[in-house]
Amino acid sequence: MKVAAGELSTEERQNLDKFTKSLFLKSAQIIVQSRLGEKIHTKCNPQHASTDLFNLAIKDLPEVQSETKKALSVCGEVMSCSQLPFCVEISLRTVEGDTMTLETWCLGVLADQKDSTLRVTYTIYNRMGTLLKSLVSITRITPAYKLSRRQGPDSYVICYRMYLGEPQLHSLGEGYNQVKVGQLSTPIGTLQVSVSYRTKMTISPQPSSKDNSIMLKSDHFRPDNGPKNVRSQIDDLTSSLSETIKVGAFADSRKTSLAPSDANLVFPDVPFSSLLTSRYPTQQSPSSPTGDILSSILNQNSPVNRTSNTSSTPPASSVERKEDSDNGNITTTRCTSSSINEDFILVDLKTPFAGSNANSDLGLFYKECQTAPPLHGCCEEPTVAEQVGDLASQLKVFESNLQEYDNMLSSLCDSENGNE
Amino acid sequence: MTNGKFLYCLRDIYHFPCLSSVRFFFHVFVVPNTAETVEGHQVDEAVASIFHTVLFHRSLGKFCYKQEGHYSIGTVGYEDVDCDFIDFTYVCCSSYYLDRTLKREISGFSEALRGNDGPGSGQISLEFFQKKKTRWPFQPECIPWEVWNVRLELIKLNNEHERQLCREKVGDLLTEKILYVAEIMNRHEYVPTMPSQSDLDLIFDTTYPDIQPYLFKLSFTTSEPSNTSVGTTMRKLIKETLSI
Repeated sequence: MKVAAGELSTEERQNLDKFTKSLFLKSAQIIVQSRLGEKIHTKCNPQHASTDLFNLAIKDLPEVQSETKKALSVCGEVMSCSQLPFCVEISLRTVEGDTMTLETWCLGVLADQKDSTLRVTYTIYNRMGTLLKSLVSITRITPAYKLSRRQGPDSYVICYRMYLGEPQLHSLGEGYNQVKVGQLSTPIGTLQVSVSYRTKMTISPQPSSKDNSIMLKSDHFRPDNGPKNVRSQIDDLTSSLSETIKVGAFADSRKTSLAPSDANLVFPDVPFSSLLTSRYPTQQSPSSPTGDILSSILNQNSPVNRTSNTSSTPPASSVERKEDSDNGNITTTRCTSSSINEDFILVDLKTPFAGSNANSDLGLFYKECQTAPPLHGCCEEPTVAEQVGDLASQLKVFESNLQEYDNMLSSLCDSENGNE
Repeated sequence: MTNGKFLYCLRDIYHFPCLSSVRFFFHVFVVPNTAETVEGHQVDEAVASIFHTVLFHRSLGKFCYKQEGHYSIGTVGYEDVDCDFIDFTYVCCSSYYLDRTLKREISGFSEALRGNDGPGSGQISLEFFQKKKTRWPFQPECIPWEVWNVRLELIKLNNEHERQLCREKVGDLLTEKILYVAEIMNRHEYVPTMPSQSDLDLIFDTTYPDIQPYLFKLSFTTSEPSNTSVGTTMRKLIKETLSI
């Protein structure tokens, strides 16, 4: 087949579209399969097989195939030469639910760099084969490869995500590297494959639960860092309450500071929040470094044998922290109204020891008691009013004993330090 | 191998203007006073990872001719290889015979390198060539069209800690080399044109049952620390070329 200078014939154009589409599909297979955590071995076949495109033995995993097609589909049609680049994002998810994007592979067509002198059918097909071989080689040398080989259900899994659009490189952290895998000139533009990968691996994939337990205990009694009651029902998020929200003992201060201002965005307004809760409860290590943990995408990723194409980013303030009394971890869960009260009481019972803020905490504690479901014994209206009065008097008693509590707190702190 | 052969290779490089010649210069660090196999394998693995990557790009599936002018091309399989003595994994064609050829040549180089007294250095080359028919009774002329040189230097290490660092450092160096190989391969500068069935042997090595690489050969040279002036000059020449 010969190419006249300038325009492509319909057949040539169709061939080129077909090749490009195949290249995208095979590239996705190569990338995802290289992150499965196992060594790949495909056999040479001296006989031509129509399924082995580009004369390279690349297995087709059906799930990856369908996900790639879905990601490439625009209005129900699989696009091959879209103006938008096709990206495959690889990320790591720990058993605690921490997620970190490791790398983003990007395949794009630069429409302004064309080479109309090339023979479409043979030369381009061969060069695409070379490009895929380079991709196979380079997938083994980025840092994510070594991590993927060490993945396991007890530590972390590698996830992938495919999308059509500009690569989202901000999630790779500072100082990420960009490497060109290869490029290929065609009459419709230059096909380019590149990878951007994270260089700063500041997440700790396997934090020790024992250490967490100790930290939780010692932090808990610090007056300025003690756990505060962050209410999760929007009805309870009154202005006076939001003013009292302080930086939690294990919370990222940056995230938590957003809580009051974002309070109205929080619970019922988060789309599909109940779905997120039930499927992907996430845990956050108290000792995890801030900044690199991308909790925002954890619900959109899936282990390497699964995928999803869409992305939504729940605001950080929509996360409620609760204390897991079994293992001492701080667990962040998507808020649902069903589990709130129990969690709240667990945390709040300890706030009387919280030093200088004891007044407001105690007040909030009683406010919470007011809004709690009434007991059978005090369901009549007058009884409630009486009880409020009774509670107020009790509050006064407690406040008068404030010094005693402070003394107890300091003695506890002393004994803690002594033990260490 | 002698320096004479070394000169011959370089002369070839400079005599062919269309040639894509590539040279490396990097160190492989080897621990003294450890088992010979450790030294040998680290050299072997470093060279094999680069040459296998090159050959993976420069091998096609077997051509199967059905009738004159019509042929089908087989499929190239590949496999991951974990290095034992370097923190590195590379990809090679899954061809037992191709691997055997490479291993044999590379281990010859490795042994020659380790056989020298004291820290030595050497260079191993992977040369792709095509044959040109000549009149009887002369052998076909071999015209190289791409040469990959890997130059190695052995240096001494003092302890286990340094050895561990070396595993990682050599792995990082190899990463750079693989990226470089990919970069060169995707320039699409020159490969011989597809031959007719009768000339297939002039371009491709058809002796492998499962794969069809372009014709290639390996050669090496080793040099001792106190080298001749010719060797020093050639080393300087290589360094200067690399600094461009």
